[in-house]
Amino acid sequence: MTPDEITKLIFRTALKERAAFDLLYRYTSAKLFGVCLRVLQDRAEAEEALQEIYVKIWTKADRFAASDLSPISWLVAVARNHAIDRLRTRKAPAGEIDEATDIADPAPGPEASAVAAGEKRRIDMCLDELETERAKAVRGAYLDGDSYAELAERFGVPLNTMRTWLRRSLLKLRECLEQ
Amino acid sequence: MTVEEQNGRDDDLVAAEYVLGVLPAEERAQVSRRIDDDRAFARLVEEWEARLAPMAEGFAPVPPPETVKAALDERLFETAHAARKPGLWESLAFWRGAAVAALLGLVIVGGLALNGSGWRPGEQDSRLRFVASLTHDDSDVRYLAVYDDATRDVALSHVSGERPQGRDFELWAIEGDEPPISLGVIPSGASVHISLSGALGEALRRGAVFAITAEPLGGSPSGAPTGPVVAAGDLRDI
Repeated sequence: MTPDEITKLIFRTALKERAAFDLLYRYTSAKLFGVCLRVLQDRAEAEEALQEIYVKIWTKADRFAASDLSPISWLVAVARNHAIDRLRTRKAPAGEIDEATDIADPAPGPEASAVAAGEKRRIDMCLDELETERAKAVRGAYLDGDSYAELAERFGVPLNTMRTWLRRSLLKLRECLEQ
Repeated sequence: MTVEEQNGRDDDLVAAEYVLGVLPAEERAQVSRRIDDDRAFARLVEEWEARLAPMAEGFAPVPPPETVKAALDERLFETAHAARKPGLWESLAFWRGAAVAALLGLVIVGGLALNGSGWRPGEQDSRLRFVASLTHDDSDVRYLAVYDDATRDVALSHVSGERPQGRDFELWAIEGDEPPISLGVIPSGASVHISLSGALGEALRRGAVFAITAEPLGGSPSGAPTGPVVAAGDLRDI
């Protein structure tokens, strides 16, 4: 499935074409389920979240028209934001999430285009320019949904220090990406 | 650094923190509301989404169990589900759904009426349709326009941006250097629908673009646009 084909499926979903929505689900649900599992670390909750995410996609697909993101980035953003919102509003936060789960990044699938691979290399290169700990914090937040509070605890620094760290890292990252 | 620069910088950092996902629940909820209300801020968020998106390669795809899609279908398409039972035609929900579908200029494909999942490859792809995302940098007005060549209908889905008080939005087709042709005042509502003449349909097939201007109530008095363009976009086929 090329990005262009996914774009068409999202547009047709915005028109409430169920066949297009079914195809969109077929081609993108594994990726979005991967997002839910990684962030939520709980299979039942991830399944529930995935349903909610596709309900959002069905009802808000027309918003994609107003976005400049690539179709898969838009879908991942919807999924990540939803999973993180769920994580943040869990009844009993932290506690059991003491140990950082270190899941290795998978090798990019054959569907990953050369462009995507290039962009990934670029952001990895920019992350590598940050101090190791800070790059770890940025990756942990993006992929595992770590909060400021969790990161501060893990790295043994006060919350405000963590915030200053991460904000500086984000600015540096942007500077590097825009070079 | 001026207060304005400081605020701009803070907005940008808040956008970055939101995208990274590190904020606590209450702050995320606030930021999320702001994204809906503040187009300039929403753009900052989107820029950060685009910047950090390559990291998403790190999410390993995992096929979800079949039960998830079944539950999702039940949640979303109860009306389609009801199609298999008697009494559908009395169902208010069904008629509501059908009215919305009609507004969008949709053909309810076989699936809904026959068996709820009757998609066959290629069946509905032969129709010539064009879609345009209508936007403009100077406004937060966004419409999604879909033109169906077979029925010569333009379905407009209102995405964001309100019309100024005492003004109407008017839709135009512009082909090359020709003067814009009015397609009429856009009725207010989330999904509206405008029919075109055959001549206009041909202009659209030849690659005309859509534009929306803010006009006095009832539309431009002169027949040519008088107000600023609030949104415009090319048509592409889907």
